[in-house]
Amino acid sequence: MEPGTGGDVVLVAEGLAKRYGDREVVSDVSFRLRRGEVFGFLGPNGAGKTTTIRMLVGLVRPTRGRVLIEGFDVRRRFEDALRHVGCIVETPDLYRFLTGRENLEHFARMLGDGAEGRIDSLAALVRMEGRLDEPVGTYSLGMRQRIGIAQALLGDPTVLLLDEPANGLDPAGIREMRELIRHLAEERGLAVFVSSHLLSEVERTCDRVAIVHRGKTLAEGSLDELTGGGARSLEELFLERTGGETV
Amino acid sequence: MSASFPALLLRLVRNETLKVLKRRRFRVVLAVLAALLSLVVFAQARQQAAAQREGRGSDWRASAERRATQMERRAGSPRIPPAFARYLKYEAGRLRYHLEKGIDPNARTGPAFCLGFAGLGSVLFLPLLVAVVASDLVSSETSEGTMKLLLTRPVARWKVLLGKLVAMGLFTTLTVAASAALSWGLAGFAFGWRGWGAPVLTGFQLGSGGSLDVSAARAVPLWQDAIVSYGLAWYSALAVGCVTVLLSVVFRSAAAALGTMMATLVSGTILSRVAADWEAARWFFVTALPLPDYYAGLPTPVPGMSLAFCAAILAGWAAAATALAFVLFVRRDVTG
Repeated sequence: MEPGTGGDVVLVAEGLAKRYGDREVVSDVSFRLRRGEVFGFLGPNGAGKTTTIRMLVGLVRPTRGRVLIEGFDVRRRFEDALRHVGCIVETPDLYRFLTGRENLEHFARMLGDGAEGRIDSLAALVRMEGRLDEPVGTYSLGMRQRIGIAQALLGDPTVLLLDEPANGLDPAGIREMRELIRHLAEERGLAVFVSSHLLSEVERTCDRVAIVHRGKTLAEGSLDELTGGGARSLEELFLERTGGETV
Repeated sequence: MSASFPALLLRLVRNETLKVLKRRRFRVVLAVLAALLSLVVFAQARQQAAAQREGRGSDWRASAERRATQMERRAGSPRIPPAFARYLKYEAGRLRYHLEKGIDPNARTGPAFCLGFAGLGSVLFLPLLVAVVASDLVSSETSEGTMKLLLTRPVARWKVLLGKLVAMGLFTTLTVAASAALSWGLAGFAFGWRGWGAPVLTGFQLGSGGSLDVSAARAVPLWQDAIVSYGLAWYSALAVGCVTVLLSVVFRSAAAALGTMMATLVSGTILSRVAADWEAARWFFVTALPLPDYYAGLPTPVPGMSLAFCAAILAGWAAAATALAFVLFVRRDVTG
């Protein structure tokens, strides 16, 4: 366990930066994720949200900074760190030529330790038990999103990272997704990280928020703290912090 | 390394095998193999039937004698490229040695066809089939977006790639075994399935003076020669598989990886025909691919490439490609 990560903190991002050539896509992103909370990572498109998520899970190597998950550095102790994480990066891409069940079995085999035994209960949790034996190629986006979440939960993680989970879903699907996220945080004690460019969605779903703009985290806190106990709306705050640029 | 590593590797290989089979690429490989072999067997059977109608096939001695004389005459012509002249001299010498020993060099049986296909196939055909499966292994995960999931599971990247390489080895082995079994099985319908014990003359070498050196030639039972030949074909195919996996890591699309490999194989084959005396060609892995032919004694395109040298060239390329594939796969950022 590295210092400064005790107690409820499950994920620490410290001064993350990523440079591609001359272009710095992310320049200074820091935040902490705690057990049992839904954390909104809010910023306009192009703010560096996806690159940040890719750094959190070790897909992209940060130019500066580090990520600790349950005290393990993602770069140095990749397997120990990622054992505690489930994620969907951008779109829920699965093997389209395999069935939902075969996809889940595939990723369960990468985990070992009885993950295959959790498939049926997770399918029930995301309400996909009836369609599990159909090829993923025939699924709608919402169904793939749900199988993606079941996949992310296979390893019994403490951190769940979701990239724009509401994207492409219809209003009923968005509502269902919100309920599932709240359930996972409240009932199962997961720390759920949700990136979004939709203010309203973040306001409805999240306990705490970080605002990211042009590759920097501008503010981090509970919705109450940031909005001054409701004196300002999150939208006003966002516009103020980002200099009036629209989301 | 934890004690459960072999168990994990086994599970990873199972995943990769499942994906190859479900993508149906291997089925295509088997279908192409069966179709091509049927075509060749059919053509040879027709040829044989035609020769028998004309009464040519009845006396193999007379026809071998005629062909040997023809080849010697052509080999002496100044218009023949040197590599081809060497081949003609070799073939003529081989025929004469068979005449001397009283063994029909063109005896058509299922086992003989199977043996011949080890050499023929390892030049271009087996490498292409191996590349069909290997080119897909990494690039398809990149293009379909599943790489993001595969590499965010608590399994180090090098282990993921190792699982893919083992799967490549598995399907390469199956491809070579299937081509041996199918070539014998299909040719058997036309020429009979018996004849594994027939003697085969092998181990000729082209001497420095351009004449055939038969001092090392020996007669071995066909099955023995076939085992060695397919072993060597398998070795070549594995080297091709390793290079293809590197291309599959480099390219985002399986089509680009497969296309590059095909172009390399075809141009390498052309190169060894037209620019055979270019010394540098010996370092190119495609030139070294037909190991079974070189084992049988067929002259190498660049003089002085021994079987061991060719095997070492292939091992060197395979090792370098694999090392580079690991470095790129482990270090690179996964974007898009």
